[in-house]
Amino acid sequence: MAEKFDSLEEHLEKFVENIRQLGIIVSDFQPSSQAGLNQKLNFMVTGLQDIDKCRQQLHDISVPLEVFEYIDQGRNPQLYTKECLERALAKNEQVKGKIDTMK
Amino acid sequence: PRAGHAGNMENFSALFGGAEPPPAAAAALGSAASSPRGIVADNNLPPSSLSLVSPPPTFPIPSRGAGAGTTELTGSTNLITHYNLEHAYNKFCGKKVKEKLSNFLPDLPGMIDLPGSHDNSSLRSLIEKPPICGSSFTPLTSTMLTGFRLHAGPLPEQCRLMHIQPPKKKNKHKHKQSRTQDPIPPGTGLQPQPPLPPCVSPGAAAHPPLVPPETPSDSDHKKKKKKKEEDPERKRKKKEKKKKKNRHSPEHPGVGSSQASGSLR
Repeated sequence: MAEKFDSLEEHLEKFVENIRQLGIIVSDFQPSSQAGLNQKLNFMVTGLQDIDKCRQQLHDISVPLEVFEYIDQGRNPQLYTKECLERALAKNEQVKGKIDTMK
Repeated sequence: PRAGHAGNMENFSALFGGAEPPPAAAAALGSAASSPRGIVADNNLPPSSLSLVSPPPTFPIPSRGAGAGTTELTGSTNLITHYNLEHAYNKFCGKKVKEKLSNFLPDLPGMIDLPGSHDNSSLRSLIEKPPICGSSFTPLTSTMLTGFRLHAGPLPEQCRLMHIQPPKKKNKHKHKQSRTQDPIPPGTGLQPQPPLPPCVSPGAAAHPPLVPPETPSDSDHKKKKKKKEEDPERKRKKKEKKKKKNRHSPEHPGVGSSQASGSLR
């Protein structure tokens, strides 16, 4: 299970690094950099192919939409996990209190 | 849910006091059911009286205790331990989790702490309006790559995005002092700029409209830093000028011998 995520993470990191290097080449372009630019563009396509292959292994993984809202707001998605655990524990204690009073 | 089943049973038995014997009513009902229909021997009545009574309907009584078919998972059990989430709870709730996305992804380049709605890079927009693309990714051919021929030279300052990193906060006091002076505090609440015209040169591939993540660029930030550094120096120089003017003026008493001018400007 963790291996699938490690593989995807590795491909994504390589893809992002390739894009970053592409941006550096473009920011101050020289004619001699054209070959390198072409190579980076093709690496971008192969990177997308590798990421697409990882998709098949992760078809059963579901991500809550609320996590995407956290990311869109620039917030740490681990805060969502933390809040879920805190809410679950609070509800657990609330229900336990009700059961104890009913006894 | 199967994990911790024994533990759940222990909690269950602790709460409800172990397995209870089947109630006596069930035995009575069972005996009544076994007797011939229509004739029931009632022990409370004298043996001479026999009553024609149809056997009462039987109701299944759920058996309690070990070996029951399904165990109830109620809120009285600690669900964190039941689902083996203690480690996760200590990890996320025991320690302080940092607020920003850059703390979760420190190696990701660019300004990622800004909302995605500013530069149309939100995941929500990607889900609501997925891009229409082909089924597979094909490598670019040489003829396709001719469309990516670029002109030599640096990009305009407004189009430079990848090198901009969020400024690292070293001292909180300096940051607080800079709030009153800077119209836009660094790293937080940066105002979005209107979309820029594409940075295209003739014969080059068209770039998508780029929106810089922050309004003060690195050079502007450095200029402001220089201005801040020069301000106290300027104030000192002004004070020195005033003092010297006052000393040399005829109205000011007690003017001593003229001092060396020094570095007057």
